[in-house]
Amino acid sequence: MTAGKQVRQTSSLAFDVHRSVWGALLCFSFGMFSLGMMSSADAETYTPGQPLEKDYESFAGAFLADHCIDCHGETAPEGGLSLQDLGPVDEINAGTWRSVWAQVSLQEMPPPDASELGVVDRLQFSDWIVDELSRVMRDKGGFHDHRDPNKGNFIDHDLLFGALPEEIRLVPTSSPARIWRVTPQEHITRLNELINTEPEYDPEKPGLRTHGDVVPTNHGGELKLYFGVDRIIKWQGGTVAYATSVKSVPAILSSARKHGLENYPDFYTVNSAEATQILDVADDIIRYMAEGPLSIAQPYQITDDPASIADKMVGDLRGLPTSLVYSTKVVRPLTPVYDLMKEDGVTDQRVRGAVEFLFEALTYRPPTDRESNQYLQIVNESIQKLGKEDGAVLGLSSIFLDRDALFRPELVEYGSPDPHGRVMLQDWELGLAVNHALRYIRPDDELRTAVLAGRMRTRDDVRREVQRMLADDSIRKPRILQFFRDYFDYDLGGYICKDNKALAETGVNARGVSHYRAMFDATASTDRLVELILHEDKDVLKQLLTTDKVVATKTDEVYFGRKRTPEETAAAAAEAKRAAAEETKEASAALKSAKKELAAFEQSMKANPDEDTAKKQRELTAKERAVSAAEKKLAAINKRRRDTENHSVDQADLSGPNLFARVSRRSFGNGSMKPERVLATAPEGQRLGILTHPSWLVSHSDAMDNHAILRGRWVRERLLGGGIPDVPITVDAMLPDEPHSTLRERMRVTRETYCWTCHEKMDPLGLPFEMYNHAGLYRTLELDKPVDTTGEIIDSGDPELDGEVADAIEMIQKLAESERAEQVFVRHAFRFWMGRNETLHDAPVLQDAHRAYKESGGSMNALITSLLTSDAFLYRTRTEPGMLAESK
Amino acid sequence: MLQGIAAGVGAAFGPSILAERLLASPATNVPPLGNSTPKRIVFFMQNQGFDPKTCIPSGMKNSGSLAKAKLPEPISPLEPYKDRLHIINGLHGLHTSPSHSAFFGALGGYRGSDGVPPSAPTIDYELSKVLPQTLLPHLCIGMDSIENMTTKPTLATLSASGAGQPIFMHSNPNHLYQMLYGGISTGDIRKQHEARTSLMLQIEQFAASKGRALPAADSQRYDQYVQGFKEANGLRDRLGAVSDHLRKFAPEVDERYTNPEFETDWHDRLLDLGISALTSGITNTLTIGSGRGEIFGAWKGLGVEQQGHNLGHMDQPDNPIWIKIRQYNSRMLVRIMEALESVPEGSGTMMDHTLIVYTSNNADKQHTNGANWPVMLLGNLDGAFKSGCFTQLDGKRPINALYASLLRAAGQNVDRFNMDDKQAKKFDAGNGPLKEVLA
Repeated sequence: MTAGKQVRQTSSLAFDVHRSVWGALLCFSFGMFSLGMMSSADAETYTPGQPLEKDYESFAGAFLADHCIDCHGETAPEGGLSLQDLGPVDEINAGTWRSVWAQVSLQEMPPPDASELGVVDRLQFSDWIVDELSRVMRDKGGFHDHRDPNKGNFIDHDLLFGALPEEIRLVPTSSPARIWRVTPQEHITRLNELINTEPEYDPEKPGLRTHGDVVPTNHGGELKLYFGVDRIIKWQGGTVAYATSVKSVPAILSSARKHGLENYPDFYTVNSAEATQILDVADDIIRYMAEGPLSIAQPYQITDDPASIADKMVGDLRGLPTSLVYSTKVVRPLTPVYDLMKEDGVTDQRVRGAVEFLFEALTYRPPTDRESNQYLQIVNESIQKLGKEDGAVLGLSSIFLDRDALFRPELVEYGSPDPHGRVMLQDWELGLAVNHALRYIRPDDELRTAVLAGRMRTRDDVRREVQRMLADDSIRKPRILQFFRDYFDYDLGGYICKDNKALAETGVNARGVSHYRAMFDATASTDRLVELILHEDKDVLKQLLTTDKVVATKTDEVYFGRKRTPEETAAAAAEAKRAAAEETKEASAALKSAKKELAAFEQSMKANPDEDTAKKQRELTAKERAVSAAEKKLAAINKRRRDTENHSVDQADLSGPNLFARVSRRSFGNGSMKPERVLATAPEGQRLGILTHPSWLVSHSDAMDNHAILRGRWVRERLLGGGIPDVPITVDAMLPDEPHSTLRERMRVTRETYCWTCHEKMDPLGLPFEMYNHAGLYRTLELDKPVDTTGEIIDSGDPELDGEVADAIEMIQKLAESERAEQVFVRHAFRFWMGRNETLHDAPVLQDAHRAYKESGGSMNALITSLLTSDAFLYRTRTEPGMLAESK
Repeated sequence: MLQGIAAGVGAAFGPSILAERLLASPATNVPPLGNSTPKRIVFFMQNQGFDPKTCIPSGMKNSGSLAKAKLPEPISPLEPYKDRLHIINGLHGLHTSPSHSAFFGALGGYRGSDGVPPSAPTIDYELSKVLPQTLLPHLCIGMDSIENMTTKPTLATLSASGAGQPIFMHSNPNHLYQMLYGGISTGDIRKQHEARTSLMLQIEQFAASKGRALPAADSQRYDQYVQGFKEANGLRDRLGAVSDHLRKFAPEVDERYTNPEFETDWHDRLLDLGISALTSGITNTLTIGSGRGEIFGAWKGLGVEQQGHNLGHMDQPDNPIWIKIRQYNSRMLVRIMEALESVPEGSGTMMDHTLIVYTSNNADKQHTNGANWPVMLLGNLDGAFKSGCFTQLDGKRPINALYASLLRAAGQNVDRFNMDDKQAKKFDAGNGPLKEVLA
């Protein structure tokens, strides 16, 4: 494939009108002539990423002069942007250079009608800008764009999956040596293992949350660690009283919730407030490990007979920890920490036992002798200062702050570099890397034994362990599910704050927190659907995109329903009214009849007191009950009429076999999330795959309406592999506030030329989803007019895909058949499991992974195995990949 | 139980705190200069709602001076201070979902609810960042039933340093005392302080030693982690270095610290510690959560036997229970003012440079849609706010507008707080700070 083929066919019209300098940066034009650069490219070979010993004047300045200045010169520059005096990269012009980098990397520039730029020239210029921005910005927050997963697609897809030009030289790939901070969810799940015993996997109920699954977010979407809720058998009050009285601590480590991949190794650290709070939580955890609920309750609260402590539970205790009753059954793990604390006195053996247990429980590897001795000394010193209990607790708390309890190292400090400067991970680093690729809890016995026996040192070792774990359903692998959450972004719906009026207009229940609860339930349901498809492991991406299956709660009958037209709504309301009137009439008649019978019977009894036998009394009672039942029935009918029935939605018939979804522990009394679900079939012709489920649709909506741009961006990036430059900071991203215009009409502003350059990549891909409203209900009307669901796949990179679509379903059907979409999916899987963006040197890894996926009939397991046995996963270098490696 | 040196203080310590500043600011005449002018803000968040009838003088319908008005019984302890009082009625928090409690949304000005994590920083944290630097920029204390304060001595429901980043409040005065005054403490607190000091230094050494072999790209990020311990340890050192100064402000530790008869004993001591953190100059932002942002809480020490949720179900006006609670709050406000007034600062006293914001995390009542969110301000923050008056607003501006006003007064050029233009179109009839409250 040649460089020229990679240049997208952009209309020059897109660059005619410019409003601002920043707007111009989106679309600055290069000059028409590039002969000089073409000839220089022909003469060179190039290893992408290698340091460029080129200065501004002779290289970048010349590039600008050759390609840019004609249009962006001093006189009447395009869009008012002159690059004439841009000069070498510095702090002041870094923003401009950043945009130049994006435009060149994305091949937006030079436009095809301006010049043909060789692949090598483009890469060199792009790499030079990255090097320079990294150097200049080193002490000013750094330059990270090229590491941002949302910009992973800035690497040309066809260079990764097609043939490379001859001048490009690749080197064997690897990932940088690094430390990887655990995510909040990993951290909470890790801590949870210390104080809660999760149920073992039950193959009969595979969807129930079990040991090895993550600690999920609670009823409100908050990630918390709960203490002792598995022993609470009684509490006072309702939902909020329960939530207030139980002990829980929120996630301590912070993480910015954003669309896309949530965690690369270089994203996060641990700040001082987090560190000190970890120490406090450690105190709570160690005491709970030692004493169980006694550490948070009075002794009398622990009984299997709540009635026996009625004298203690006097008055209104709602919301108080003393309102709780704990069973006597010990369910927490009893560990060497318990052993240390339960007995009087201290021995080195017991302290060491607790230290070594806790160290491994928190870092997932045994301590070295040095580490063990260090912590032993700390605990002993603390005990000397504070006495056994407080001292042991304080001393052991320090282990929670060990580097390896918060960061997972991949430092390859031991092992010999290969000729390319790469060192293969081995032993614990490799074992934990493999474990972390799939799991949040510590390695199981087999993996642990393999590491200790020196059987985690080769590619085959990794393949063996990965395949073993993938084949065993009882070994929970929440990291795989997390990948799908990151990739699809279907888990954000509960966090999208909705305007109540706008929400009510969608047809769903807008009262209280009903919608948000439904969305958290929907996330758990979609999780389960993903798991079911993974279990089949055939054509995974295609299945996810096109399945007609739905994992649903009762509430989903509304969310998967169809919004009725006003006429239909009126008709449904009238019919309901008629039916209710009929029902009322019948019930009234029945009541009247029952009363009449009762009166007659009473009259008869009164008239014949001698016949007042036991049998007659029973008859009387039966007739009284009949009256009472008839009254109740009538009252129920009236109540139902008073309750606002939802006539605006034609509810979906979601019936099917029962199954379970993984939900949080009891966090809100009886209002906690429930695991029960059904596996149903979505209404035909209305839904197709996850992208048409409310969980995904609402995750890509805003307070008032759909978010067609975000949806389109998702399709562009996650299925088509396209890149979108950042929104220029001066762009007013607001759509006009016109309540009587459709979203499509309001989005006309993005069609203005300088916006459209980017928006044509997104909007036509997002607008087909207008067939759903912003709560995810199927609709045929928008603002009482037939909804326009048309869209277009433009310049996808695969001409077969390009063209107009009637609606989201047609678009999804096309995309689900696309090999390009499959490859882009593989690219995202690569990023998730390698924790970094791909480079051109990863092309062989990506191609192998895609081949494995394809040849296995779309097996995720095959894809994961390929990735986890790749050089990119196994090897580390102590500098950036490709930089240290040999260039030949 | 030992507590973190800095748990609950938000995401950052003052990076380059000057002990001399701490010493200088309360006692000497420091001329106003940029953000070095001493300023401090106190947020007092009572749960269960703040019924406007319990604070607006009878018959007062329109904005005007409080000079000739008589304050309602629940806030009668503020009568002598009404020249400093500004009662604001008619802000709203419709977008915060405040029924039962807006939780983080009360100080964040965004949707909150039970179990909903913060979606952005709260105003107290934002102010703590921009007010003149102190040793501990932000301190949060929470008052609750004794059972909850002992079982859950730290809790995060009201303040946040960012999305998903809750700030913990302190509820055990023993732990808080150790954190603030461990260096001048005696007895058990001293022992715990020393043990913890030693531990933290060792942790810092471990952390540093494990950072030596890191690649350059990671070492910078990891250094932040190590730096965190250095800061925590440095804070302790700095507090230790000014121990003579702190001694003047630290409360006496009495038996009620370890042996409280009622929860209010701890409430009072927590307040003492909060006040001392202000007067000593340790902090400039104090957040007090009475009821800790939730819908429960207890005040048995006031003779209120009912507790928790039931209190919220009661109408507050003319309710003897709520009169007791509100008067207790008011006496606490008076204590804060008197303490700050007793410390000279500049040409006046600390109180001259202070603003107390009293409101509820529950708007006007427990089951509310947030259409009205009454607030009382005390003090004027160097003349930035009007005082001695009642302001009736039209219910069309959100609490965010008040928070934007606070940021303006703290020198920040902002028009809105945690509210984008799109949201503002629906929830804010104006733009910029509340001109009705700024002087």
